[in-house]
Amino acid sequence: MDVTPIFEAKNIVKTFPGVRALKGVSLSLLPGSVHALLGENGAGKSTLIKVITGVHRQTSGQLLLNGEEVSFGSTHDAVAKGIGVVHQERNLIPRFSVAENIHLEQLANSWLRPVNYTALNQSARRWLEELNLDIDPAMPVSDLSVAQMQLVEIAKALSLQSRVLLLDEPTASLTSSEAANLFTILRRLRDNGASLVFVSHKLEEVVEICDRVTVLRDGDNATESRPMAGLGRQDLVQMMIGRAESGGTWRKRDSAAQPVVLQLKDLATSVGHKDISMNVRKGEIVGLYGLVGAGRSELAKAIMGRFRVTSGTVEVAGQTARITSVADAIHKYRLGYVSEDRKTEGLILPHSVLANAGVPIWRKLSGFLGGLRDSTVRRAVSPYLEKLEVKTPSLAQTVGNLSGGNQQKISVAKWLAAGVQLLIVDEPSVGIDIKTKAYLHDLLRELADSGTSVIVISSDMPEIIALADRIVVMNDYRIQGEVANIGTYDTMSQAIMGLIHRDPHRAQVA
Amino acid sequence: MTSHDVSHGSNGPISTPAPSSGAPSSGAPAQLSPLRRFLLTNEFGLILLIVLFAVLFAVTTRGFTTPFSLFTLGRSAAVNIMIGLSMMAVIVTGGLSLAVGAIGVCAAMFLGYLIQSLGMPWPLAILAAIAMGAALGFINGFAVVRTGLHSFIITLATMSIFFGVMVFLTRAEAFRGLPPVFADFGKMKFATYFSPLLLVTLAAALGLGWLYRYSVLGREMLAAGARPEAAELSGIRVGRMIIYCHMLSGALAALAALMLVARNGAAIPSMAGQLGQDWLLPAFLGPVLGGTLLNGGRAAVLGTCLGAFLVTMLSSGLLLMRVGEFWVQSFLGLLLLLAVLMDKLRRSYLARRNLV
Ligand SMILES: Nc1ncnc2c1ncn2[C@@H]1O[C@H](COP(=O)(O)OP(=O)(O)OP(=O)(O)O)[C@@H](O)[C@H]1O
Ligand SMILES: [Mg+2]
Repeated sequence: MDVTPIFEAKNIVKTFPGVRALKGVSLSLLPGSVHALLGENGAGKSTLIKVITGVHRQTSGQLLLNGEEVSFGSTHDAVAKGIGVVHQERNLIPRFSVAENIHLEQLANSWLRPVNYTALNQSARRWLEELNLDIDPAMPVSDLSVAQMQLVEIAKALSLQSRVLLLDEPTASLTSSEAANLFTILRRLRDNGASLVFVSHKLEEVVEICDRVTVLRDGDNATESRPMAGLGRQDLVQMMIGRAESGGTWRKRDSAAQPVVLQLKDLATSVGHKDISMNVRKGEIVGLYGLVGAGRSELAKAIMGRFRVTSGTVEVAGQTARITSVADAIHKYRLGYVSEDRKTEGLILPHSVLANAGVPIWRKLSGFLGGLRDSTVRRAVSPYLEKLEVKTPSLAQTVGNLSGGNQQKISVAKWLAAGVQLLIVDEPSVGIDIKTKAYLHDLLRELADSGTSVIVISSDMPEIIALADRIVVMNDYRIQGEVANIGTYDTMSQAIMGLIHRDPHRAQVA
Repeated sequence: MTSHDVSHGSNGPISTPAPSSGAPSSGAPAQLSPLRRFLLTNEFGLILLIVLFAVLFAVTTRGFTTPFSLFTLGRSAAVNIMIGLSMMAVIVTGGLSLAVGAIGVCAAMFLGYLIQSLGMPWPLAILAAIAMGAALGFINGFAVVRTGLHSFIITLATMSIFFGVMVFLTRAEAFRGLPPVFADFGKMKFATYFSPLLLVTLAAALGLGWLYRYSVLGREMLAAGARPEAAELSGIRVGRMIIYCHMLSGALAALAALMLVARNGAAIPSMAGQLGQDWLLPAFLGPVLGGTLLNGGRAAVLGTCLGAFLVTMLSSGLLLMRVGEFWVQSFLGLLLLLAVLMDKLRRSYLARRNLV
């Protein structure tokens, strides 16, 4: 191919206090191509994207747009030069409407003119429709689910119609059908000559959509801008982690004889669940699958006492439980919940790694007069931080400064250490690299083997099928049915999709 | 004295948990020694300023270094630091309390009433007065949690209410018949220069330092203040923590007021000015100079002590230089602005040089 690159980054170095995130990374983007940017958690992918889009200024190195050196003083400059981005972390303004968020850039340029909301909503709707996202553009962003926010963020980037578009884990919290939708759009943009960068830890997606690839390892290029042709999943893994994939797979586990730890009977909640009945046995892993908006996270939060149960009963270990606060759920009934939204619900971003990892067990570890020593906390949590290979310069590092995947590891690890009897993990592996994902799955299996019950909520069907003993399928705040897992993807995915689409009008009939 | 940054968990020798491939250590820039790191903190800046102004006042004024002047300086500092800590206890939640002064005066007047009108023994009355402070703090905290309104609004209202009720009940008359222990304690000196009130403040500061650094309760307060939603989902009763913070603040305000009672030898309704407003400037200056984040989640105990001490020293030094009281107030206001700007500059300097 003798196409000239539209954008190049040459020998980019970026240092943070105590961390050398990029040590001389290069990347060249061709027009009409989808470029995969791969690497383990903390390899420097997001940092590179932030340098390219003017969020960070590089310590040294060059950026070339159409062969000319550019330097962006701010994100605004990058947008003006036709470089768009979807960052890994959500950057929407919660109280603003969906349409306002999508058109923030345009609104910012015309702050003296009155806003024409009809036009604004209309043009926003166009982008939402392209993404098959059925929401009202006038609705505030704070009312959306994490996946919906991610799609709005994508719509926002698409609306700028940039020539270079960088997508940092855009599919992290999407289901495969939503991702497929996005890929159709990306292919069309590519065919129109746009240059796309795609970051993902889901290698199937990468193989499916990308035609070129750059791999980072510890802030260095392991591979620089080569064609994808001829590379398979295993080759990518080899380049990323320097060896082949390892880690356990699904195995048959039988907990039918075990006592029931959580029993929901005809539950209805203040957020709209109806007739929810299900149970979880000791040491069992139950998968909870459903499309975005099926009400799975909300159900988890209702169990945890965050939302009110309006009728029906919750039984924990055979006793009727009236859980009115999360603190009760955790300390009295020993339930735990790993939130899907690590940034606002999972972590205390301005505090240290150690402070975050210990929160749920502080009370348990405390001694005389509620006193607590760092060394005690460290001893309790570091095995889990080690097993998940949390990459941080020290335990005193501010969590907000870690890479997205490493933040996610901490938000999970703190619950692995908590010693609860039932753990609900909501999208536990969002943004975690494949190596750690395998470790995480092993840890969850070990946890279940040692008697903890686990509910796995995931939009990633292969993940559910790899972990669960039994899969409960939800749709529209109801339970559609359940299937025993036999561990084979094709049979199981068909059974699950069958349940989701079963009897869509049951609600009206009942 | 106490640790200066208690939100960030561990410091000292840190074990790095399995950095997957040794990246953090390889060519990491600007790994600072503990000493250099201390030299770049807010606290060190404050110490420098304190020394600078102390020298300036010692040279330019007569009387700054006399034993009596140093004694009164220490005594005022003890009170002002306590006021600053009282505000800090609420700022930790990301809120603030305009009612610290009003609560303090109410507690002091309650003490006077218990001793003078009811004849309660003074040690009991002291405990009761501190409990009164905590109870008024509870009202603030409860109202904040229940209404979901910002503490600014709530404490603006309770400041007037507490003060108004106090004036109504006491008919604005002072209690001057307190047992001599109070006045004696206020006049007592040790090592020629020092007031024992400083010891009370030191004990309170050490207690707070322990609380925020080494106790579950304090850490939960910080977590609840930094990210209420995440704290809640981690099993922390955020509402309760906010109430506790206000109660702690109320108790500390009461303590500060009792120290003033000792200094004055009487409980006087106007001891903190109309509505207790005279306390507000020292209350905010201490924590802000000390580097307590106004959006919550961090408590700088040592910084607050140093900040409040600096403020006290500046006011008394300026008064010795025969600058009018009014100018001292203006100067302190200016100092508040300057401090915030300086801190911003320092932070961006450190960030640019990759030193943070
Ligand atoms: N603001 C910051 N301050 C300090 N260190 C940082 C900062 N941002 C990133 N880092 C560090 O830089 C390194 C690279 O982080 P980056 O976010 O680029 O990783 P990533 O490849 O995107 O990983 P992930 O797959 O987890 O998203 C990490 O070690 C991280 O801790
Ligand atoms: Mg990233």
